[in-house]
Amino acid sequence: MIDIVGILTANVLCVVLITLGGMLISWSVHFVPVGGAPAAMAQATGIGTGTVQLAAGAGLTGLVTAGAMMNMTDSMALVVASGAVGAMIMIGVTMIVGTWVYVYGVGVPPASAKVDYDPITKDRQDIYVSQGTEGHGLPTVSFVSGIIGGALGGLGGALIYYSLMSVSTGLTATNLVGLASIFAVGIFFVNAVIPSYNIGGTIEGFHDPKFKKWPKAVQASFVATLLCALASVLTIGGL
Amino acid sequence: MSAGGSGGSAGEAIPQNKLIVFGVVGGLVAVYLSYFLVSIAGSAFAFIGALGAICAIVWGCSAVRRVASYGLGTGVPSIGMLALGMGVVATMFGLAVGGIAGPVISLITAAIIGLVIGVLANKVLGMGIPIMEKSMTEIASAGSLAILGLSVTMTGTFMFDEVLTYVVATGYIAVIYITAGLAILHPFNANLGSDETQDRTLVTGFEKGAIAMLIAGIVAAVSNGAASTPTILIGLFIWYTAFTKYRELVARDAYDVVGTGLLPTEEELE
Amino acid sequence: MEPLIGMGVLALMGAAATVAGASEDLESDVGSQSNPNSQVQLAPQMMYPHRIYNKAISGEPPSNALMCAIGGAVTSVLMTAFSMSILFAISIGALVAAVVHGSYCVTAYMGRTASQKRYKQPIYLDIIRSHVPVMIGYSFITTFCIIAIAYMMTAILDHPFPLTLLAFIWGITIGAIGSSTGDVHYGAEREFQNVEFGSGLNAANSGNIVRRAESGLRNGIDNSWFCAKFGGPVTGIAFGMTVFLSGWVTTVFDASISTAVGWMSVVAGVGIILLLILWNRRIEVSARNAYGPYKEEDDEEVAA
Repeated sequence: MIDIVGILTANVLCVVLITLGGMLISWSVHFVPVGGAPAAMAQATGIGTGTVQLAAGAGLTGLVTAGAMMNMTDSMALVVASGAVGAMIMIGVTMIVGTWVYVYGVGVPPASAKVDYDPITKDRQDIYVSQGTEGHGLPTVSFVSGIIGGALGGLGGALIYYSLMSVSTGLTATNLVGLASIFAVGIFFVNAVIPSYNIGGTIEGFHDPKFKKWPKAVQASFVATLLCALASVLTIGGL
Repeated sequence: MSAGGSGGSAGEAIPQNKLIVFGVVGGLVAVYLSYFLVSIAGSAFAFIGALGAICAIVWGCSAVRRVASYGLGTGVPSIGMLALGMGVVATMFGLAVGGIAGPVISLITAAIIGLVIGVLANKVLGMGIPIMEKSMTEIASAGSLAILGLSVTMTGTFMFDEVLTYVVATGYIAVIYITAGLAILHPFNANLGSDETQDRTLVTGFEKGAIAMLIAGIVAAVSNGAASTPTILIGLFIWYTAFTKYRELVARDAYDVVGTGLLPTEEELE
Repeated sequence: MEPLIGMGVLALMGAAATVAGASEDLESDVGSQSNPNSQVQLAPQMMYPHRIYNKAISGEPPSNALMCAIGGAVTSVLMTAFSMSILFAISIGALVAAVVHGSYCVTAYMGRTASQKRYKQPIYLDIIRSHVPVMIGYSFITTFCIIAIAYMMTAILDHPFPLTLLAFIWGITIGAIGSSTGDVHYGAEREFQNVEFGSGLNAANSGNIVRRAESGLRNGIDNSWFCAKFGGPVTGIAFGMTVFLSGWVTTVFDASISTAVGWMSVVAGVGIILLLILWNRRIEVSARNAYGPYKEEDDEEVAA
């Protein structure tokens, strides 16, 4: 059997950072304005897809960027920042094209139904919500919230990947990358699903009353990620 | 991804406990049998691992079916991605530390992680689904067994060095992740509706499991320890059998199966 | 690596991604995948039986990840075990993936429709025969382009992730983008052309989708004809921009030269994001001015 205590004491920082990364991902999902199925029919504010999927799409794009950066530099801050930038670009581009579709393809102005005034631009919202819907499109506050969500998600994913790559191990580089990348993907999905269950699949952004529920999801992610972090660090460290 | 059905447990002709036994015993026996037969009799027996994966997948479908019929608040797919996310971490951990006991340790680790997430979902997130703990444990375990079975089929062994070189470092773990994940979540999602029946959903599980087996067979071509042709042929056979059965069940359950035609008339809809 | 080669490869990747994005969205429109499908699913229950394909494959990201991961795995097997040339390997890989996708399409339509027995929605076999080949075709194009992108990233840009994993990740991303952008055009406009443009979709109209076409009864192929005019191309632009911009910042500002240059890439990325926020704001303001409020402002204030 492997020396569990030895490996964990040698890599305690990695376990902490992975857990932190998982909690960041969990928190990030609360920022991403996702309207689920109703938003795809322009019946609710936000992006017309599922929370898990969009968070995963953004976070994994960040992971690809972080992976590329990890190949070029040893600076942890830079790797993590690149992950955040990659995810922000993905989600930013998705939201701007989403706005094109809502405004030019469907003909509805962006409007939130959860607040009467946009907290950032102070624009009146309620009168721009069409009859019988819960808002539509991406008002500025949701857009900014989405960017923050992308940044945090990419940050979390990159942090997990960087930490896994930093565990002291006897693995060859190829094997380590393979293992670290699939672990990062797995842990990412776990932490993308937990908050989706917390918010019931839809949220408008940080101005949404549901956003206040985030501590619950982050607590749950803390426990779940800690378990995954222990398992993955022992796997990589024991080889 | 549309809204899930809501409320109440789905009707079932085969009790869940039987399916648990089918999945766990079938999965573990197949993984070990495949490992020993490959080392004694040759690489052609690698396909048995995938049969175990199919058992686990069918079990997983049934667990998804039970929990998703309560309505998760988001799409059915989320739970499949969660299952495999937990499964991949647990499986690699089990294989890395366990040696010959690897598959059992993987299964237990997955069950623990699943149970913890199930408890968190009810206690912390307040989802209030009574079977959440049990189902999450089952789904994570099924995901882990499916990954194990398919890995054995790809390499002929569950010794971690081989799995690492041929499955993880090459990235084929990603294809296991998604083929097994979709095989677990797709059957219920594809048959969702008021007149969903258990046997039809589970047959879809067999059919999608056979596709995962087929792909694992193709990937086995890379490894020396596992033969690819038997896996592909047997996978195709299972797929054909399951698909034929599925078509029969669809014909049985559907309102009408027509070659072409107009919409039902107003009188018919009354 | 020469910076020029890097830029050239990046341009090629962006072009492939644009094609992939467009075909991905049209594939999901033919089959009515993802969130707009909830209306197609609901329609028979509201006494509106229809002849539109009801393809419920687990949301677009996992289903595209499935295609791309299978395609990537087969490609990589053919290249390593059979030393096949990359072009043939990608073609065969994409074909296998597309056929597997076809099988998922068939079980999704048959299963969902069979489960609507009490709403008297029949299964039309000609819909399966005509739509599934179209979806296989589109998914072949999508998978081919994604594997090509993943191959260029590993072989030329030296990305450390294995080919199959990259294909998997881009599959998740393209699915997420497709269901967030192009699908809205299908769900909010094409399915509900029976309400006035820009009036919003009252929840009371749910399930009342347009079931009659320019000629005959509307099906999924009619829907892709409409969405090919706007939803498909913009999805392509979105995915192309994502692949291009996320690679552009790290290729132009190559961090292997020095950490300072690496930070420049982060700054450039954040700059792009800020531009996107401002652009969104401009569109928001112009839309509010052009379309105007739905209710009179004064009424609301009196009521409040």
